[in-house]
Amino acid sequence: MDRRIGLWAQRIALAGLLGATASVASARDIIWARYGDIDSLDPQRATSTLSLQVWSLIYNTLLATDKDGKPVPNMAKSWTSNADGTQYTFKLHKGMTCSDGSTLDASDVKYTVDRALDPKAPSVTKASWGPIEKVEVLDPLTVRFDLSKPFVALIPFLADSFSSIICKSNKDKPGFGTTAAIGSGPWIFKSWTKGDEIVLKKNPNYVNYGKLAQNKGAPYMDGLTIKVIPDPQARLAALKTGEVDIAEPPPDDVPAIKKSGKLKLVVAQNTGQNVFWEFAVHRPPFNDKRARLAVGYATDAASAVSLIYGDLTHQEECPVSKGTFGNDPAFCKKYRPGYDPAKAKALLKEMGYGPGHPLETNMLVWTGGNRDKLAEVFQAQLAEVGIKAHIQMMDIGTMNARVKQENNTKTGIGSMDMMTWSWYDPDILYALWHSPGAYDGFTSPELDKMLEQTRVLTDPKARAEKVHEVFKYLLENGVQIPLYSPGWEWVFAVRPDVTGFHVAPFVYPIFNDVKIAAAD
Amino acid sequence: MGLLTIFATTVAVTLLIHLVPGDPVQIMYAQSQGTTPEQLEAIRHSLGLDQPIVFQYLHFLGRLLHGDLGYTIRGHQAVLDVVLQRLPNTIALAVTALAIAVAIGLPMGFAAAYWQGSLLDAGLMILSIGGIAIPSFWLGLMLMLFFAVDLGWLPVSGTGPLNILLPAFTLGLSNAAIVARMTRSSMIDVMSQDFVRTAEAKGLPRSTILVHHVLRAGLVPVVTMLGLQFAFMMGGAVVVENIFAWNGVGRMAVDAIFQRDYPLIQGFILSFTVVVVFVSILLDTVYALIDPRIRRS
Repeated sequence: MDRRIGLWAQRIALAGLLGATASVASARDIIWARYGDIDSLDPQRATSTLSLQVWSLIYNTLLATDKDGKPVPNMAKSWTSNADGTQYTFKLHKGMTCSDGSTLDASDVKYTVDRALDPKAPSVTKASWGPIEKVEVLDPLTVRFDLSKPFVALIPFLADSFSSIICKSNKDKPGFGTTAAIGSGPWIFKSWTKGDEIVLKKNPNYVNYGKLAQNKGAPYMDGLTIKVIPDPQARLAALKTGEVDIAEPPPDDVPAIKKSGKLKLVVAQNTGQNVFWEFAVHRPPFNDKRARLAVGYATDAASAVSLIYGDLTHQEECPVSKGTFGNDPAFCKKYRPGYDPAKAKALLKEMGYGPGHPLETNMLVWTGGNRDKLAEVFQAQLAEVGIKAHIQMMDIGTMNARVKQENNTKTGIGSMDMMTWSWYDPDILYALWHSPGAYDGFTSPELDKMLEQTRVLTDPKARAEKVHEVFKYLLENGVQIPLYSPGWEWVFAVRPDVTGFHVAPFVYPIFNDVKIAAAD
Repeated sequence: MGLLTIFATTVAVTLLIHLVPGDPVQIMYAQSQGTTPEQLEAIRHSLGLDQPIVFQYLHFLGRLLHGDLGYTIRGHQAVLDVVLQRLPNTIALAVTALAIAVAIGLPMGFAAAYWQGSLLDAGLMILSIGGIAIPSFWLGLMLMLFFAVDLGWLPVSGTGPLNILLPAFTLGLSNAAIVARMTRSSMIDVMSQDFVRTAEAKGLPRSTILVHHVLRAGLVPVVTMLGLQFAFMMGGAVVVENIFAWNGVGRMAVDAIFQRDYPLIQGFILSFTVVVVFVSILLDTVYALIDPRIRRS
């Protein structure tokens, strides 16, 4: 059935590319279509990428990331910390304003952090702020964070839209998060029709201090409308007719789009997304490290992703992806179980598996983005060495629940899953593997200790060394076997008359530089 | 009877959705690095998700009696507002689609019955089998490709007065085929009945017989089926709304199911059932208008 749909999709795409493209009206907003809607306009009430991307347009952040994913000054023109890393002082730019015209200063920063840590209704990403004890306004342009113990992941967090600065004037706004959102980002929130569209207009007072846009002032275009079009073929059709300027295309159509040259493709770099194997480690066969490593040796991720995605994504060597602190392919390659079927077979033989007695496992994979096809390639690779994997496709929510369930099940065949996470700092490994672990999976006292160290080492060099120790441990023990990065919704198709669109690290699209050529 | 149906559906849905693994909090925050396990528990507790399903259901019913459908888990918005914002879109889509189905299917079926056994009859019926067999996701994409991309007459997607045409035709065309077949068999059935023969024997003009006797009596089963079809179309809207990004409750329900947003799913099913039950009652009244025999009994 899927194959048939795919075939038709191709025919539709081909026919569509041959078809006429409607003319574009001049002087209008940028229209960006995505597959789904945001959960909330309140940056402290949701965690989805779809929400984060919109917050990054409406709100601003203390710090920003450069093109390599490193934190740089933004609203804060500089920052200092004390020697033991428990005190951070930020100097803000003068003359910043909120979209309602009110002044933005240190008190807004304090309001944002206090709100996130409010014991009555804390932010859903409270733990990412770290052990902040208090925030003090030293003067209108200076703010200090006092921490009970060092927490180095705070700095990259302040560059991410999870830490969006919420203007204190939102406090008295009824409907903040649904019908109101006052920020100081490049775009001003106008309206949100749930499930349909979000309408933004440009912030004429916007000054770009550190975000990855060449334009140092307000966006060039007057407005930006973010539409929900769930069906990938419909998004492509809307791109062709000019109803939409920018959208994620169906993966199967990418080669045809490239060939036709009628739409431009923008591929996000340094997305922080990582796709990897992990295992149910509390029962056979994957309680034995040899079985996990055998899967690693049997997997040829490089050729699998190239077969399914072409050059749109690449094999990842490290437990955190390119653009994230500590990522070092040369280092990780030394410890990652690389493609070596003979080694896989030898390990399996050692465990008593062989012809007629294969290692049997379920392989959980989340739906969408052609991952069903990718899973089939992996299944075939595993079969080569005598691992019989049963593919089970499910939505990401169900898979998260299943992985936890599998880790708490003592009987049955093995379970492995193609898991995915996205984060801007190796602190993600703490969430995944520090006991009790995100899914009640692998934990160990020595790993716990190393992970704790990665949070408190303020010297970047010392921290990088510790992070590498963690990588080595995870790879050598087959706890987390990196597959590829980026993993999802990282390809954008752009109409030919649109220029200046680019995507910052961690999949934040930037519209400040966008210009749309007027139609004839 | 209607109330009982509504009640039974809400119970069934509550039970079914809890059978699927994963709870909404886990799904929403499973991949959030910054949410602590204690925080997850606290969120669960505040939403009442740590209580047994029976209590959760009773709690839902209790609030329902006060006209309160609760709040969505994602975004914390009033369920009633979220549903009411989108329900009119789905009803508009289903009604337009039904009108298209009737406008095309009824004359087709009538013509096929009138010239029963002719080449026209065979042709129309083959066409209608095709109509039934074509899946709506395919038909929808084809219509989109032709009318929106190639000809540029209609918008590809979105919610608006012009935008309704493509999804409504997608839904309507396959249902037109069903209406045509049903009308044909019903008309043929009536044409062979005694009262028609009597009318013919009386020497009444054929047109009078067809309009006053055959059509009226033949329509009763068709109208019954239209009620059912309306319910199917509300259901079919789920697929079509997704293709055309029509902002209706069907699409909302799909998202809600993936996110295990229990209050929203319950709100959807409830509103959906109420609409379907209401339409059935309405149609019962319409029969009486068409067929005097029902009025008398």
